[in-house]
Amino acid sequence: MTVEQNFEALDQFPAGMRVLAVDDDQTCLKILETLLRRCHYHVTTTNQAQKALELLRENKNKFDLVISDVDMPDMDGFKLLELVGLEMDLPVIMLSAHSDPKYVMKGVTHGACDYLLKPVRIEELKNIWQHVVRSRCDKNRGSNNNNVGEKRDGSGNEGGGNSDQNNGRANRKRKDQYNEEEDEERDDNDDSSAQKKQRVVWTVELHKKFVAAVNQLGYEKAMPKKILDLMNVEKLTRENVASHLQKFRLYLKRISGVTNQQAIMANSDLHFLQMTSSLNGLDGFHHRPTTVGSGQFHGGTPGMRPFPSNGILGRLNSPSGIGVRNLSSPPAGMFLQNQNDLGKFHHVSSLPLNHSDGGNILQGLPMPLEFDQLQTNNNNKSIAGSSMAFPTFSTQQNSLIRAPNNLVVLEGHPQASPSGFPGHQINKRVEHWSNAVSSSTLPPPQTSNSIHHQFDVSPLPHSRPDPLEWNNVSSSYSIPFCDSAATDTTNPGAFSRNTDFDSNANAQPGVFYDSLQMRQSGNYGPTTDAAMLSNNPKEGFVVGQQKLQSGGFMVADAGSLDDIVNSTMKQEQSQGELSGGDMGYGGFSSLRTCI
Amino acid sequence: MLGLGVDRLQADINRLLASLFHQGVLDEHFLQLQQLQDETSPNFVYDVINIYFDESEKLLRNLRLLLMDREFSDYKKIGLHLNQLVGSSSSIGARRVRNVCVAFRSASELSNRPGCLRGLEVVEHEYHYLKNMMHELFQLEQQRLLAAGVRYPI
Repeated sequence: MTVEQNFEALDQFPAGMRVLAVDDDQTCLKILETLLRRCHYHVTTTNQAQKALELLRENKNKFDLVISDVDMPDMDGFKLLELVGLEMDLPVIMLSAHSDPKYVMKGVTHGACDYLLKPVRIEELKNIWQHVVRSRCDKNRGSNNNNVGEKRDGSGNEGGGNSDQNNGRANRKRKDQYNEEEDEERDDNDDSSAQKKQRVVWTVELHKKFVAAVNQLGYEKAMPKKILDLMNVEKLTRENVASHLQKFRLYLKRISGVTNQQAIMANSDLHFLQMTSSLNGLDGFHHRPTTVGSGQFHGGTPGMRPFPSNGILGRLNSPSGIGVRNLSSPPAGMFLQNQNDLGKFHHVSSLPLNHSDGGNILQGLPMPLEFDQLQTNNNNKSIAGSSMAFPTFSTQQNSLIRAPNNLVVLEGHPQASPSGFPGHQINKRVEHWSNAVSSSTLPPPQTSNSIHHQFDVSPLPHSRPDPLEWNNVSSSYSIPFCDSAATDTTNPGAFSRNTDFDSNANAQPGVFYDSLQMRQSGNYGPTTDAAMLSNNPKEGFVVGQQKLQSGGFMVADAGSLDDIVNSTMKQEQSQGELSGGDMGYGGFSSLRTCI
Repeated sequence: MLGLGVDRLQADINRLLASLFHQGVLDEHFLQLQQLQDETSPNFVYDVINIYFDESEKLLRNLRLLLMDREFSDYKKIGLHLNQLVGSSSSIGARRVRNVCVAFRSASELSNRPGCLRGLEVVEHEYHYLKNMMHELFQLEQQRLLAAGVRYPI
């Protein structure tokens, strides 16, 4: 592929993403292929794992993503997964008809970046491109570290067949949070070169001088050179100030949405330093602290990644490291508002920051539950440090910000969060793109997003941990769902879409039902409603309830949400008793009587 | 009169589909399948369903051979076959077939021979029912296409 073609493909990304699909089941392979094509990916298929390996080995850059079935006769899917991961370092998505958590676990431990259950829905496939982007970001970080001398100015990641360059360009095509990755790359270079000089530790005094200088100059007009002059500190270089200023700006941007900027400026020193302390605290131990630091400010995909397997975890011991890592916009002065918390943090920050056993600290993301363990286990300082920080954040978060609250809740499922969060941020993009793809062209309503967040809060009974949750999130963002929320209130099918957040048949019926209805005569309408409802007895029941409650639109208040969850939970239990369509049909008739 | 035939046939198709949905024989994934059919792949549903039939019949035959064997002990193999059946059935929206396959799979995981035999019978029954229904559907569809293609002489 020539460079120009590469750029063209990237311009339309994720359209044109090159996928290799492997499945020995011909039926599924054909369906998968068609679904992927419908998502505007470029698809190659094979029903043999060996052939797949050959194709991959033939040209390492030929594919962006591999989707593979688990149970294949000629080679174990997990084996293929391992090999692909090792040799080609491509993201691999596992596919299986078996929802046994053991398999999912096996997939994860073998390095799969996702695990999909058959039957695959198109919504799930529409988001798989995120794995490609994520792995490219990871590669970027790795290469940044190694390419200290590599010339890459902030303005352009021009040309070159270098995949990183392409990634830089691809990254630039993304919206907000990804743009910040460029800053990060620049920052990396700045600090990588600064590494040759002595590391500057930004103490509180130094930072105070810095802030004073910035205030004096005026925040908008603050230039590194002038700040440097005003600060009048020996051995401080313009580069140090520049990078610090950049971080400071990003930090302010993050928290300025929450509190008054004045308050921030006043209280920011300690908070800011705590956040950045992890960057500087590890002299020479880890070579790219700033990578993590700046990544933390972004709070987007980089921050939300599952743990990188290198020593960065050492930095996460500090509460600031964890706090920023897990939150999109840490509220300002959060640490300082609550005196108790401040005490806690002082306690924690007294821990040496350069833990050498950092690698194992955050096996799972710190869960609020661990807080209980901490009370009884003060010796286990490192975990205490990380976990203590987390519940504090979550409680604070609840009162302050809504969006990160959802984030925090998603955090409860360690694997769900990394993918869930980008979905939250990239949501608009996904929807815009889905707009282009799907046949109906309705604008993605904003309200449905927040409503979905509420849905995400409720713990849903699922057999598979991550992918389903993630998929629920993603599928709930899809257009068909939004269609119903936004428009057709008289369409019973819409209700089923709205409320069906706990089964696999999520938004799926909606879009096809709509177009089907459009295609066929009115006679089909009511019977299809029955059909829709009969497919999922839960749906029917919940629909009935929905209808009774709210006159048929999405319910946004928590009260009815709990009811729905409870009822669906009950339905789950009683589902075994229900035959295919009875309950649903009954539900439908009750629906009719309501009408 | 032939024009009306199209409508009647369409109504028949609709009714059949609705009934299949109602019985739980088909689910929304079948709709997804229909949705994937377009000008670029006009016979998509037909093709996929036929592939499914071919594959499934092979699997069912193998299953029967395995279970009929007196010295049969390879439940794992049964599990693998069933896995494939579950996957393909669910992908085309054959919900009832999928469900009975899952039940069969559970029996095989418990190495329960009589359970497996029963499971196989049920699966075969459901599968054949589905196949007949699909045939009928395709026939109606074909007739409808023919009827729609007829033009009135001017």
